[in-house]
Amino acid sequence: MTDREVRAAVRIRGLRRTFGSVVALDDARLEVRAGEVHALVGENGAGKTTLLSVLAGHLRPDAGEVEVDGASVFGAGRARGWSTRDAWNRGVGMVHQHFALVPRLTGEENLSLGVRRARSGWALPTDWVRERVHRIRAETGLEVDLSRQVEALSIGERQRLEIVKVLLRDPRILVLDEPTAVLAPSEVEGLLTLLRRLAGEGRAVLLVAHKLDEVLRVADRITVLRNGRTVLEADRAAVTARSVAEAMVGDAEALDAPQRTTVEPGEVRARWLGRTDGVDLELRAGEIVGIAGVEGNGQRELARALAGRETAAGPGGSGGAPGRIHLPDRVAYVPQDRGREGLIGSFDLAENVALGHHADPDVRGGPGGAFLRWNALVARTREMIHTFGIRTSGSRATAASLSGGNQQRLVVARELHGSPELVVAENPTRGLDVAGARFVHDQLHRLRRAKHAPAIVLVSTDLDEVLALSDRVFTIVRGRLTEVPEAERTREGVGARMLEAGEGRAARAGEGTS
Amino acid sequence: MRSFPVRLVAPGFLLALGLSACGESESACRDLSEAPFCVALLTAGPVSDAGWYAGAYEGLLQIEQRWGAQISHQQTRTASEYDEAFLAYGTEGYDLVFAHGSEYQDAAIRAGERFPETTFIVSGGGRIADNVVPLIFTLENGSYLAGMAAGGMTESGVVGMVGGVRIPPAEGVFLAFEAGVKAVRPDAEVLETWIGTWDDVAAAKEAVTSHISRGADVVVHNTDGASFGVFNAVREAADAGDPTWAIGMNRDQNDIAPEVTLGSAVIRIEDAFVEITEAWRDSEIGGAAYYAGGESEVVDFVANPAVMDRIPADLLARIDSMRTAIRSGDFDPPRVPFIEGEEGYEETGAGAGGG
Amino acid sequence: MIRARWWGPFFAIGLALAVTSVALALGGYDVPQALGALWRGAFGSEQAIASFTLKRSVPLLLTGLAVALAFRAGIWNIGAEGQLYAGAVAGFTVGFVGGGLPAAVVIPAMLAASLVAGAAWAAFPTVMKLRGGTNEVITTLLLNFVAIHLTAWLIDGPLQEPQGVYNETAPLPESATLGTLWPGTDLHVGFALAVALAVVLWVVFRFTRVGFLIRAVGEGPEAARIAGRVDSGRLSAGVFLASGALAGLAGAVHVAGVDLALYPGLSQGWGYTAIAVALLARLNPLAVIATAIFFGAIQAGGTSMQRVAGVPLAWVNVIEAITVIGVLIAARGRSRSGGDAGAPEAA
Repeated sequence: MTDREVRAAVRIRGLRRTFGSVVALDDARLEVRAGEVHALVGENGAGKTTLLSVLAGHLRPDAGEVEVDGASVFGAGRARGWSTRDAWNRGVGMVHQHFALVPRLTGEENLSLGVRRARSGWALPTDWVRERVHRIRAETGLEVDLSRQVEALSIGERQRLEIVKVLLRDPRILVLDEPTAVLAPSEVEGLLTLLRRLAGEGRAVLLVAHKLDEVLRVADRITVLRNGRTVLEADRAAVTARSVAEAMVGDAEALDAPQRTTVEPGEVRARWLGRTDGVDLELRAGEIVGIAGVEGNGQRELARALAGRETAAGPGGSGGAPGRIHLPDRVAYVPQDRGREGLIGSFDLAENVALGHHADPDVRGGPGGAFLRWNALVARTREMIHTFGIRTSGSRATAASLSGGNQQRLVVARELHGSPELVVAENPTRGLDVAGARFVHDQLHRLRRAKHAPAIVLVSTDLDEVLALSDRVFTIVRGRLTEVPEAERTREGVGARMLEAGEGRAARAGEGTS
Repeated sequence: MRSFPVRLVAPGFLLALGLSACGESESACRDLSEAPFCVALLTAGPVSDAGWYAGAYEGLLQIEQRWGAQISHQQTRTASEYDEAFLAYGTEGYDLVFAHGSEYQDAAIRAGERFPETTFIVSGGGRIADNVVPLIFTLENGSYLAGMAAGGMTESGVVGMVGGVRIPPAEGVFLAFEAGVKAVRPDAEVLETWIGTWDDVAAAKEAVTSHISRGADVVVHNTDGASFGVFNAVREAADAGDPTWAIGMNRDQNDIAPEVTLGSAVIRIEDAFVEITEAWRDSEIGGAAYYAGGESEVVDFVANPAVMDRIPADLLARIDSMRTAIRSGDFDPPRVPFIEGEEGYEETGAGAGGG
Repeated sequence: MIRARWWGPFFAIGLALAVTSVALALGGYDVPQALGALWRGAFGSEQAIASFTLKRSVPLLLTGLAVALAFRAGIWNIGAEGQLYAGAVAGFTVGFVGGGLPAAVVIPAMLAASLVAGAAWAAFPTVMKLRGGTNEVITTLLLNFVAIHLTAWLIDGPLQEPQGVYNETAPLPESATLGTLWPGTDLHVGFALAVALAVVLWVVFRFTRVGFLIRAVGEGPEAARIAGRVDSGRLSAGVFLASGALAGLAGAVHVAGVDLALYPGLSQGWGYTAIAVALLARLNPLAVIATAIFFGAIQAGGTSMQRVAGVPLAWVNVIEAITVIGVLIAARGRSRSGGDAGAPEAA
């Protein structure tokens, strides 16, 4: 996009916003033009969310200028009055990371909810919605299922519904916050194509993301935020993946991947025999076993069972005997949903460390070990903050106050403390930025090479991650494990084995809810 | 637990300490007013009930008017407030405390020990101390007269009695009623039914209907809210061509169903309050139950003025002379003892259990 | 975000006083006299503080602790009222039957019986919740009515005083009643017991393993199960029963300390007020002491308004409610301000 004629749909200058002593944004700039796909990238905590909140009217900045569609909405002469309603009226439509859909209602009903029209009296304006959805489909190729309840839809389907919901208002500026984070690889392509088409209609599309390869494929221009500042604004053609990543991280060395080393597998640490799919799983010390699969194929149950968190009926659900599972005493588990399963947001860091560690005799005291030695736990937490580089105000800060990456560091730090004999990591880098993901991968590598190495299981929907880290690779489709032979361990080879997954998911969706 | 609302609570306590320092100490109620004495009333229900509690409050107001007494009233919510109320009034130097209900009796005994200068009067109470006086409404006196009226008016010779919960005071009322009936008509048959509650209108109606079907043509009740069922049943029987009389109880119920009501045995609570206050001023009470209605108009039988022309004059004359005999102490209708120290009262409990 | 100022609580109290004054003036009552009575009835004298306010705070404190304990674990026990009745009946029965024994035997037996009865009254909702997933709000609430009516029936039947005249039981024998804590007043030792339990519960929450796990299950049930490997079912059951036991204890303490006999309708809805007591204290056991005393003071002062200013009970109830709402508003202002929502202290 070098066309100078296109108007700036959004222009932000010198934006500053602080939360207490934390500076979230400091001299942030952003210019999004009509008809372009503009990528806003940055690590977690770089200020992307704050910037979006300002744009959406949720937050009032401390200083700076915001123009939407040529009109000043914040800045000299216009200090207040920019609300979420104003944002809508000025044509800013936002697709949030967390969908605002009512699970029990159908797609059609959900879409009708947001429509402020008296045309059908008290009834939902379903006819109008259907007609509009039809037109949107014709223009953009966006397919949504209007008749099923939202809870029966896959994540990708829900996201499309959310996008359609925003498009119903015909926004001139479409903002998507981390839209690919929740999607399977096959769904990502469709989304990127759609974004291009929407921009082609003359809309401004602002895509917030941190997966660089996707961003580089779709964006016309790129803005990089680091520590609240805009550090790079450039046309796509002017940058490389490396230069963008450097701008994001600010440290070129951190980007270099560690050298893979071969490690002789040690003793067997865990065994799962007599699985219904006939595959015996043996996990050995110093070995990373990767399990790839599309979401919803039973990997979550598998991970939990391997972590001893669930008296599993075996992955894939109901049928058959669960088999015998032999687990060591010390099992570390990095759950996928760190906010819900890994941490308690309202608890402080030391209390979160105490979760699971509460059984450790070293932190128990008093008669019968009934008391927790909080001093010891706080010391332990401080040590983790230090060694794992967790950015926080201290062990008394709440987990909710940490950024996603730092939350994950805390979970990893807690779980790897001591010397676990088995480590189960489930999508451990989901939602993390480059440095965060690097950190987690480094930790897994470090563990694998450690003197008393544990057996490591990496359950992930991210194929690249599995391929990069694993000594052995399995795919999981509808609860069935298959080992991928050495020769087929390529993106295409494993991807082909996961192809079945699509059917698996369709079958699941067909059952309604799981 | 950083959330301990110190900042919320601390100012309240500081305020409390500061104010209690300058708060005045306990003061006798008479120091605050010119009143000759102070009277308090405790009720377990609202004084707007147009019945039991309203009568007590009316009595309190009459005491204020008559003697210029300082008065106060508290409605207690649960038993936990009894001691507190007595303590408050005792501390403030109230001279006379009416506790209008037997539920206060145990707390009143405790209060009596604590505040010997105060006299506690417990309506319907059963426990006695030097300064704790049960105020007993001798409804028997009225119900005996009502029984005479029933005996005089019955043609079939069958009279029905429908009671609520079978407790000694209620049994006493029916005992006197039955005696009154037999005084006028010795061969009369008297039916008796207890419905087990005070307020079940349907059960009362059913009981009365059954009495009527067994030939009763006068029916008396001793219930509370269930009395409407009694009047309903009697009126329906009368409408169906079966002349039947109802007799009201506790208060003047003559206007509920005026065409079929013979009269009512009534308690005039306000009169009883004035009467016992007078007795207290004359230092005539203490150490024994006070029977209101023995020699005054507190308890009475009120014939229904609307049907006066249908009651034989000689029957009315007989009732009048008996009323005089009772008031003068020449005649005592029978009663069931339930007050400690009362003649015939058994410590181990007469008639324990009830219906 | 609204920052709570130091004057916030004063503002709330002032607001409540202002609204109360207007209400009193509208009702035609002498406002200064009534407000003076409100104050003196709660704190105006030694008797007011001990015999009125603190004595009234005991059942509120115990049930408040019961509710705080359950709510901390994410168990919505609305049944403190019914559990209190169960404890009162059990405690009274043991005290009445064992009245001949020395107090050192009878009193602990009564309290133990009330703990068991309270827990038993919570047992059915516990099983229903953990086995069948039935919402405990409904089961505990319904069991309240069962307890209240069952108690009324017992007092009218098997437990009625021996004469069978009055709607109450015989009084407890002397040895089965609680002694006086503050000589010269009606404040019984149950107050000290309740305060001690509050401190114990605070220590449990703050320092012990099980207390930590209870909080974890309440704040993040999934994280407690997955990351903490907590058997949340067992823990929840234990907390639910313990909560019922505490509420049951409130019943026995009240009967042995205040009523000294069983009367129908023995509670003024303390088991429900306890929810406000606990929430206002933000489920902190030490703060429950303060909020229970506050509610006790409001009730004592309101009752005093009846006696001194002739304000009828109905108005007193309204004024109590206004005051409580005023303070709840102040508390809400605080909870929104700190950004430390429920975050407990660790070290």
